[in-house]
Amino acid sequence: MRRLERVRRRWVWIGMLIGTFLTGVALPVVEAQIKLEITGEGGRTIPIAVVPLSPLGGGSEPRLSEEFTGVMTRDLDLSGYFQVLDSSHGEAPGEGVTPESINFQHWADLGALALVKGGVLFDGNSLVLEVRLFDVAQRKQLGGKRYRGERKDVRRMTHRFADQILLMLTGELGPFDSRIAFVSTRGSSGRAKEIYMTDVSGTQISAVTRDQSLSLSPGWSPSANRIGYCSYRQGGPYPHVFDLQAGAPTRLIAAVGYSGGRWSPDGSRVAASLEQEGNSDLFLLSPEGREIRQLTERSGINISPTWSPDGQSLAFCSNRGGGPQIYIMNVNSGNVRRLTFRGDYNTSPSWSPKGDAIAYTTRSGGFRIMTIPVRGGEPQEIAPGEDPSWSPDGRYLVFSTRGRLRLARKDGYGVKQLTSGGGDDTSPAWSPRLE
Amino acid sequence: MILVPRGLRASNNTVREEGEQEVMWNTCLWRWRIIGIFLIALTVSGCPKKPSPTGSELGDVGDNLDSQGLRERGLAPGDQEARVRDRIAGERDTSGGGSLQDISFDYDSFDLSQEARDILQRNASWITKNSVAKVEVEGHCDERGTVEYNLALGAKRAKTVRDYLVTLGVPTGQISTISYGEELPVCREASESCWQQNRRAHFQLVSR
Repeated sequence: MRRLERVRRRWVWIGMLIGTFLTGVALPVVEAQIKLEITGEGGRTIPIAVVPLSPLGGGSEPRLSEEFTGVMTRDLDLSGYFQVLDSSHGEAPGEGVTPESINFQHWADLGALALVKGGVLFDGNSLVLEVRLFDVAQRKQLGGKRYRGERKDVRRMTHRFADQILLMLTGELGPFDSRIAFVSTRGSSGRAKEIYMTDVSGTQISAVTRDQSLSLSPGWSPSANRIGYCSYRQGGPYPHVFDLQAGAPTRLIAAVGYSGGRWSPDGSRVAASLEQEGNSDLFLLSPEGREIRQLTERSGINISPTWSPDGQSLAFCSNRGGGPQIYIMNVNSGNVRRLTFRGDYNTSPSWSPKGDAIAYTTRSGGFRIMTIPVRGGEPQEIAPGEDPSWSPDGRYLVFSTRGRLRLARKDGYGVKQLTSGGGDDTSPAWSPRLE
Repeated sequence: MILVPRGLRASNNTVREEGEQEVMWNTCLWRWRIIGIFLIALTVSGCPKKPSPTGSELGDVGDNLDSQGLRERGLAPGDQEARVRDRIAGERDTSGGGSLQDISFDYDSFDLSQEARDILQRNASWITKNSVAKVEVEGHCDERGTVEYNLALGAKRAKTVRDYLVTLGVPTGQISTISYGEELPVCREASESCWQQNRRAHFQLVSR
């Protein structure tokens, strides 16, 4: 106990040294005993308990604790790996947040295999949030992080620890410290649409554009500080860039185009579909909107470019073979191969950040989200919906179904609804992980 | 600042700060395109050879306006913006096409049916007769399709109509095109009759 206190104090001290960095400071870790694997239908879900925050000093604030448990519960549920237990059972009397002070039998009796506990310390305008994950059966701490920031940062700290929980239990960081941009009719009159964004819980929705026009097809820059989109604000469909820090849109290029520009993974180039005499062709642009090269020269439709994670290739949608199908182009050689052969209407490709698969929309009866290996082969149906976009960890897809954003694991299981009501929500774009 | 909470200095440090986007015109190709756009704009706006003597022509709203009226209703960039804004703000198509009738298309097609050709012939003769009229051909789609594909499909529809009107003798300077994809439906039910109304080329008089 005394040793742990010493370790804790040392970490607090180092935390102060690092300053007000949000980046979590690691607490002592032992090897995870609970390992999660996703196999087949639903996979195995881990019963997990999320406990309200304990005051560590400087007063308490129940609403902050509710925010923490709310966001954590939502993230763990969305991940599809957990069954979050009703936390109203509460703690055993006199419990602390360190392994020595936890009554693990109490949590085992409630059916929990894993336990999330945290505490908060107020320090003037800033606060310190300390969160730990425990393996109930092994009676061990699997890991912990200490975050320092302002009161309003608690949601983001919680998302970051949810990402850490997935890292500890699955070996891969989760996707929750990120944003999802989308198009919505909410708050608009007539037939206008604007770009909005939300955190991954789907509850923190904020307006991005206020153009009172048509804003369509958002896509993120690699550092998640800009959104490329298509706007009619200057009298026609033109590719625009919205700078989130400046809070203002700029037209990317003085040509009509049907998607926002799509940044290459290193941010050095932008792929865009621009109109040429009624046809649409893919162009490679500089991030400032200068033309580098025309990539397609066909009569017909060439749209919706999406970059491979290595920046060597683009998948796109073209009707060169009749109906719309997905094609892959090597950007340097210009060589093109057709990827999809099943169905006569395949559109809106999205290349997985893992590089191995492409998600797209197919029409057969209604519209469905499909995935297909990049090398070609059998497509797999994920869920009814349109316009898929991958999570930054490549494990989830967000898409729209009848004007609602939904999220599913890439195997199609664990479909969850992110938004409900307030307008038609479409064309989601999942940001890279925030840094 | 929307994305990065102010307290998160670590985040702020790592999110690259870059300058404002600037549109640059360094390549010849784009320079010529811009000059082309200017020339078209000048032609379409009927760049006045002499200043309009009075404003009295502005009161005319009939089908047979003289060329004087056009000068005050030219296609300045602001007009285009305002017109598109009005189109988006409205819930339905305005009767901005005057005597010009919409045509409809089959699903995922930009081919002109015989019925469409007949309508376009009537539209062409009206436009030709009203030589000062400027018409914007709008390509529209039903909502069964993805947004970007429908924007591109709407452009093909508008361009097909424009090309056909030109083969019928309509001067190119009188017609412009725009695609609205599936974004401006006139009917919101999920039925074939409704979808058919939405798969259309609409004619909007931009000046006359």
